[in-house]
Amino acid sequence: MNILFVLIPLSLVLVAMAAWAFFWSVDHQQFDDLDTPGLMPLSDDPPVRADANPKP
Amino acid sequence: MSALFCFHCGEPVTDAAPLVARIGSLHQPVCCIGCRAAAEWIGALGLQDYYRLRDATAPQVAVTSDFSAWDREQLQRLYVHRRADGNAEVSVLVEGMRCAACGWLIERALATVGGVRESGVNLGGKRLTIVWEPQIVALSVLLAAIAQFGYVPHPLDRASLDGVAAREQRSALKRLVVAGLGMMQAMMFAIVLYAGALDGIDASTRDFFRWIGLLVTIPVVFYSAQPFFAGALRELRGRRPGMDTPVALAVALVFVASAIETLRGGAAVYFDSATMFVFLLLGGRYLEMRTRHRAADIVDALARLQPAVACRRTPSGELEEVGVHELHEGDCVVVATGAAVPADGQLLGVQCRVDESLLSGESTPLRRSRGETLIAGSIVVEGPAELRVQRVGVDTALSSIIRLVERAQRQRPGWVRHADRLAAAFVFGLLVATLATGLFWLAVDPTRAFAATVAVLVVACPCAFALAVPAAMARALAVLAQRGVLVVTPDAVERLQRADYFVFDKTGTLTHRQAEVAAASASRDVPLERCLAIAAQLEAGSMHPIALALRAAAGGVAPSGAQAVETIAGGVSGLIDGERYRIGRPDFALGDGAADGEDIVLADARGELARFRVRETLRLQAQPVIAALRAAGAGIEILSGDGAARTAAVASRLGVPDWRARQSPLQKMQRLAELRAAGHIVAVVGDGVNDAPALAGADLAVAVGGGAELAHSSADVVLAGDRLESLVEARRVASLTGRIMRQNLVWAVAYNAATLPLAALGLVPPWLAAIGMSLSSLAVIANSLRIRAPAPTLGEPVLPAAPPALVQPG
Repeated sequence: MNILFVLIPLSLVLVAMAAWAFFWSVDHQQFDDLDTPGLMPLSDDPPVRADANPKP
Repeated sequence: MSALFCFHCGEPVTDAAPLVARIGSLHQPVCCIGCRAAAEWIGALGLQDYYRLRDATAPQVAVTSDFSAWDREQLQRLYVHRRADGNAEVSVLVEGMRCAACGWLIERALATVGGVRESGVNLGGKRLTIVWEPQIVALSVLLAAIAQFGYVPHPLDRASLDGVAAREQRSALKRLVVAGLGMMQAMMFAIVLYAGALDGIDASTRDFFRWIGLLVTIPVVFYSAQPFFAGALRELRGRRPGMDTPVALAVALVFVASAIETLRGGAAVYFDSATMFVFLLLGGRYLEMRTRHRAADIVDALARLQPAVACRRTPSGELEEVGVHELHEGDCVVVATGAAVPADGQLLGVQCRVDESLLSGESTPLRRSRGETLIAGSIVVEGPAELRVQRVGVDTALSSIIRLVERAQRQRPGWVRHADRLAAAFVFGLLVATLATGLFWLAVDPTRAFAATVAVLVVACPCAFALAVPAAMARALAVLAQRGVLVVTPDAVERLQRADYFVFDKTGTLTHRQAEVAAASASRDVPLERCLAIAAQLEAGSMHPIALALRAAAGGVAPSGAQAVETIAGGVSGLIDGERYRIGRPDFALGDGAADGEDIVLADARGELARFRVRETLRLQAQPVIAALRAAGAGIEILSGDGAARTAAVASRLGVPDWRARQSPLQKMQRLAELRAAGHIVAVVGDGVNDAPALAGADLAVAVGGGAELAHSSADVVLAGDRLESLVEARRVASLTGRIMRQNLVWAVAYNAATLPLAALGLVPPWLAAIGMSLSSLAVIANSLRIRAPAPTLGEPVLPAAPPALVQPG
């Protein structure tokens, strides 16, 4: 059962990494607005810019 | 009548031959020219997806205004953030943004404007952040692009770009997730220990898992649970133990006991209980905070009421747009029709009409003539008005109402929180029991003293007790938020359940601000439709509620065919097809000597053509809501700032015998004080600025969404989405919550009372204590989950009311 002494600390390291990744994403505004981004995939073409290539 | 609804805004289309908007190859019915323009514009941009994506109908398109003042340097300094890369950034509160499709539409529309770098929509907060290149495009162009769809953009000052709320939410989310991760790990290792206790485990492996458990619990206790410790410290300093004290005590005791047991290789550890407890409580608090923020997002300052810009006349006679903070006493300001008065001042022009309904509750626009005072925040419905500024900023009448609100908020009855008082007694009892147990066993059998003391602590741990109220509350808040009821102050749920007297404001709360034509009759052989069309054409240029009602009754077709239209005291006259018509009060339309009355009369040179009776539109659900409240045994009263005749009319239509008219904000507050002195728990439902002091002075303040921001800022509960009927649902959820909360408390106290003596006698082994503690908490949570929104009993949205009876003379 000695493998436990390696695997369990390893799992704790993974948890710590997950926590760090979560902190990073919270600090980078990934969780500020959970409603709007869900809609983005529904629009399939990129926004048309008048200054780039105006479409009729 | 076939049920036709506007393709764009969803309002019923009352006209027999509705306007159509051509979108692609399809023709869709629309209710007005503005909506047609908006729908066709959306179609022309290829943005039809908007109609597919949206889940709430669009705001009705209003008259777009001029935003050029926002390009002034003095205003931009307050509202626009200059970024290091030369781009400008502004945060805008978008009134009318209701659903995901709105956000999508606005982003798309802005993307077609050159010079816009980024635009980000936050739907929950109705916020829009725009980053643009100021050299290429002006802010006013961007605002106009948003206004084109009927949304009203209000730039917010720079401070709102970096919100306190966002920071608060981020740190709460981090704490919650750390607690969640810690809880999962601690439970995993606890299962090993439980299995070991049953099947046998060697001491070194057991101690290893205990140390690991301690390791994962440390961040939960020292980071996630920190708000509880800070709160307990505050409560101790104020010598007013509340709910944070038992929570902090429970966490600290269980953690310290477990840590000591780990160190000395004792009987059992309880890291899983400690972390689960912290996680559940944090989850409840997180939900509570989210609701509070959502409500606060809707409430945003007085920005909308007091305009940010004003049109000032320079000494040389030219007009210039300036920020309101630049105005001084003695300045001469011009206010256009439909705009808000920026400062208190004396009218210089001959005459104008102002709508003070938000400030006084008076629903008819008031006539003001030269020398009279206009109040900041009132809307000029017939102008333009030119005035000399007398008072600005904090000296205005509006500001004095705000001060009244602040005073009332200080007077608000301090609600003794029942659970808090119980908690204090509970903690005291717990400490006494623990101490007594420790001393008893030290005297009798010192070797068992520690185990018994820990068992008492764990068994009596006020976890279930501390969860009893928050768990039910968190569930209730979530359920209510789903139904569009935002609870700003959490103990409002309890007060909502206990309120036995409901005071309603009239204008804007029981009625819509728009009027409707209740009855129309033709007096001569001219068909009524023709009369309505003439009336609508005469009134085509006016924003007066009566004009709007007549235009709506005529079906919105009003390309003004009238010429030489004059607005004179009492009515309007104009030429249509060479004939002069007059419309207005009887004495105006028919000449002096005619019997005056509430009716509106249309007349030509030969005399009366038609009569219209215009009345306030009741909210569809006002009647069932009042009936439901009365059925529940609550007292109902209407307090209105409006005149007696109108208030009485609305009260009798709703069947409310108790009403008071012409109530100033101060009188409303006094009436509430009377009611409260008579032992009632009074809830006030209102929406206007004039209601704000009354709201602040009530036991429970309910603001109807879409009302004035000041009313919202003193509200405990906001009915978002403008649905009055959610009040009844909320009351039902509140009483269910109260019942569940009591069950929870009884259960928690009973559990503790039953197990404490056993633990004190040393009869409860630590592992059983831990299981009991977890089960009692889970029972409380499971019970709280029974709080559900009631099935709607007020019926599904009623179809629009039948059109007014149009009577032809027989």
